[in-house]
Amino acid sequence: MIAIVMRKELATTLRDGRLLVLGLSLFVLFAGFFLFSSYQLQAQRLEKQRVGATAKEQWNSQSVKNPHAAAHYGIYVFKPDLPSAAIDPGLTPFTGQSLWLEPHKRNLTRFNPSADDVLANRFGQASSSFVLYALLPLLIVALSFNSVSQERERGTLRMLHSLGVAPRALLFGKLLGLLTAFWLVMSPAVLLAALTLAGQFELAIDDLLRLSLLLAGLLAYYTVFAALSIGASAYFRTSRNTLFCLLGFWMGSVFVAPRLGAAIGDVLAPNPSASQFWDAIKTDIAQGLPGDGSKQQRETAFEAQVLAQYGVASKEQLPVGFVSLNRQYNDVYSSKVHQLHFDRLRANFATQQQLAHLAGWLGPSLALRSLSMAIAGTDLAHQRDFEDAAEEYRRYFIDLTEDWDRERSHGTERSAKGAETDWRSVRDFAYTVPTVGFSLKASLLPLAVLGAWLGAALWLLAHSARRLAP
Amino acid sequence: MTTTHILETRNLVVEYQQHRAIDQLNLAVPAGCVYALLGGNGAGKTTTISTFLGFNRPSSGQVLIGGRSLQDQPELVKSELAYLPENVALYDLLSGAENLRFFCALAGIELGREQTGRLLSDSGLQADAHDKRVGQYSKGMRQKVGLAIASAKHAKAMLLDEPTSGLDPSAANDFAQRIRAAADGGMAVLMATHDLFNAKQVADRIGIMKQGRLVEEFDAHSVQHDELESKYLAHARGLA
Repeated sequence: MIAIVMRKELATTLRDGRLLVLGLSLFVLFAGFFLFSSYQLQAQRLEKQRVGATAKEQWNSQSVKNPHAAAHYGIYVFKPDLPSAAIDPGLTPFTGQSLWLEPHKRNLTRFNPSADDVLANRFGQASSSFVLYALLPLLIVALSFNSVSQERERGTLRMLHSLGVAPRALLFGKLLGLLTAFWLVMSPAVLLAALTLAGQFELAIDDLLRLSLLLAGLLAYYTVFAALSIGASAYFRTSRNTLFCLLGFWMGSVFVAPRLGAAIGDVLAPNPSASQFWDAIKTDIAQGLPGDGSKQQRETAFEAQVLAQYGVASKEQLPVGFVSLNRQYNDVYSSKVHQLHFDRLRANFATQQQLAHLAGWLGPSLALRSLSMAIAGTDLAHQRDFEDAAEEYRRYFIDLTEDWDRERSHGTERSAKGAETDWRSVRDFAYTVPTVGFSLKASLLPLAVLGAWLGAALWLLAHSARRLAP
Repeated sequence: MTTTHILETRNLVVEYQQHRAIDQLNLAVPAGCVYALLGGNGAGKTTTISTFLGFNRPSSGQVLIGGRSLQDQPELVKSELAYLPENVALYDLLSGAENLRFFCALAGIELGREQTGRLLSDSGLQADAHDKRVGQYSKGMRQKVGLAIASAKHAKAMLLDEPTSGLDPSAANDFAQRIRAAADGGMAVLMATHDLFNAKQVADRIGIMKQGRLVEEFDAHSVQHDELESKYLAHARGLA
């Protein structure tokens, strides 16, 4: 019986002018945003490759100089983008896309695209993902808010009851019919996205998996809206009440929940200001972490340890460069302090993200957004993974230059030199974005929230069938 | 020999919101009989039809269809009923043929294209209208699709609620003839109506309801038109 109702719903929904007009409008909107976004992504990828190669070549072609001075020249590394970022740019416009790697200090990412954006784009969230998570649910509401109440108002519900149609079969048939019609109308957009991405990027299996998962997430998300919409239409006596209720839910889910979630996160787990953050690092390096002693005390102890190790009475008698050795020792300590504070800051970001899901009871949009960003590789977890890899690379090339400096000098002299062959021997920063498994692991909470919404929506749909009196 | 009543109520009482809409109703419609329920607004005619359809739950008494209790076997007995309301509710975006196939499929009957066309034609719908969307149909054309659904279901009983209201005389006459033919084919027909002329023309028995009670019942062929009108008005004005 569900299949019979579904086929009828599919036919009537496809013949309903609303679907074609609204669907076409949203397709045009999506296509515009998506094509622009994928063009921008492609341009950004090429620019990152070009600038990255130029920066490395500049590093490679440094003149003969002290290895530590060469290290201070620094290396720029860039966060690579996945093709799926064209669908959901996520945090990309707001987080930095490159890291300046230099000795002694771990930097924050810089050059966020939104800073270079035209003024008009800073208002609102005009992107293809906005169409997917905000506007398409509205299309579903527009198509289904009267799906049952209209049957009641026109009398077809009595006809169906007179035939002994089970209310649950009717509602679930409507749900399947609506979703099938919706996907049929949306399929050109999916096709356009697939063809564009396949044309512009070399899609790996992981990319295809990500895109499939994104589609599955969206299917679950739209099912929540469709089930709630049809359920509300069965529950309320009039189409008007159903529409008001659903519009309120849509606004709560799409606009209120993310802002409320962010506010909850800010209040319950506030971030330090930039100056507080850097000052705390500076203080901990100078004064030392509990039990480590001040910088001066640590350096004195280190010097004594090195003299004992080499069996000499003074720094000047050391067979290796002490300046480099001492610097390396300080850098290790500095890295430890940086790591501690960065980990704290990121843990706070993660707590804020989890706290934000407290607003998830208002609707599934927040969970879908988090999931979609994680799948597209544009969330904080991916940003953190990139930053960790960059930090590892920073330590590698700084350690390498310090090794040259230490081994090519003696005592307290600063005569060590390096040449182009040395600089060229520093391997390139080769970062690969983690696989989709990483995204899923980072999305357990949003997945659970979305799953809970899906379960609740289907339960409410089944429950509302009990109120389906003719 | 006992007559099998297809539609029957025994001491039926239906109450809602402390209002007794049906009060001790005893009604019986055998196979092949057209029974017209007359009465003013609020007399309980539509509530009686709705109770047979299971839309209202009886407060007491019994509703039997083909001798089986509606309360005990609702789905089974509903399959033996066809229902035509005042405005036959169909899906405007589907054609007459699609509507027929949809409603029949829900009743467990799969119709082929040829069978669909024959059923619609037999119900009086012009062939060129079969594949037009119902949104373009007149009320009479919708009634014909409703009749085709009833016919396809091989229903034992048909429940009509003001079926000729709003039909032009020609369409009403055509409809009456089709109802008569259905009854002659063995169907039991219960028809709630205000239309005395139509009732006299098509019914075998007539019952007059007032305030939920069946106040008078007689053979339709035993009264003339003016006599039927007098009885109706007498009950309506409280003179009887």
